[in-house]
Amino acid sequence: MKSTLVNTMMPMDKILTKRDGFLDGFPIFLGYFSTAIAFGLVCRNVNISFFNSTLISLTNFAGSGQFLMVNLLANGALLFELFVSVLLINLRYLFMGAALNQKLGDDIGVFKKIIVAFSTTDEIFSVAVLKPQKLNFAYLFSLELTSYTGWVTGTMLGYLIGVALPHKLQLALSITLYAMFASLWGHETRKSGYKILIVGFISAALNSLLILKLNMAIGWSFVISMLSATLIGSLFIGSEDE
Amino acid sequence: MNNINLPMIVIVLLSALATMIPRFLPYFSSAIKKIPKVITNKLKLLPIAALGALIFPFSILDFNPVWIASTIGVLVAFLLGYLKFNMIISILFSVIATYFILMII
Repeated sequence: MKSTLVNTMMPMDKILTKRDGFLDGFPIFLGYFSTAIAFGLVCRNVNISFFNSTLISLTNFAGSGQFLMVNLLANGALLFELFVSVLLINLRYLFMGAALNQKLGDDIGVFKKIIVAFSTTDEIFSVAVLKPQKLNFAYLFSLELTSYTGWVTGTMLGYLIGVALPHKLQLALSITLYAMFASLWGHETRKSGYKILIVGFISAALNSLLILKLNMAIGWSFVISMLSATLIGSLFIGSEDE
Repeated sequence: MNNINLPMIVIVLLSALATMIPRFLPYFSSAIKKIPKVITNKLKLLPIAALGALIFPFSILDFNPVWIASTIGVLVAFLLGYLKFNMIISILFSVIATYFILMII
């Protein structure tokens, strides 16, 4: 993420351009493209049509949420379970959006805000929120469009080339999603300490127990594990930050 | 699709709705800013708690019986993330490590 680093260190008064957005968006494009290939593969494996797979990526634009949704569908989850699970996994966007909203420039009115809100993904948020200057629409739009293009085209390509890849490579590519989460987890552990590692372990252990031993439906098991680990974690992690 | 007897497009759009509600609220509602700080502080742990459950047990189950490959892949990504490599590098090396293990076992 060299370009991000360079831009972050630029003087405060430098106005962000379309070009900056593209340069910052390119690493995200690459990451999304490869993750979306894995998503396209998964969709094909659970017999979702090409049209619907593309539609999922076009309308949801969410890594973990989409994988969760397809996973739940394939395992026969109820619609309500699916809705609540996807909603819960996306709750974090409430906080990301609140932070990003405060950095928006004056040129961003209601219609432009719709586009910004639609594309508040983890990665776009992380890159944009770290900018020292106010965020204008030209920058945000090209950052978001670059990333969005990677996500949608990756999904289509993954679906189409999926069968052509050797089985072992297909399987290896499906680690992409877990690798994304694991690298975030590692990053957060470094940033916020070993207690973060423990919170993750609690939810991992609980989720495994509920699914493997108690045969609980994935949607509920996920929600229960996530909320319990958050609650337990908040008992031993004070709110010292902020 | 098993027990969901609705056209796929309805399911897709419902999922989009579940994604977009939390994305849109903070930009268009001032109520979000009024959530008590005690709660928002607790919710900060939510993404981390999500990560654990997102990785396990399915990274193991998806690869069963060659779960050793995915376990190594997850470990590689975690370590590279911890060492502050960017996400793309972490993912790339994780895929390579996973593929390598799959080839030798």
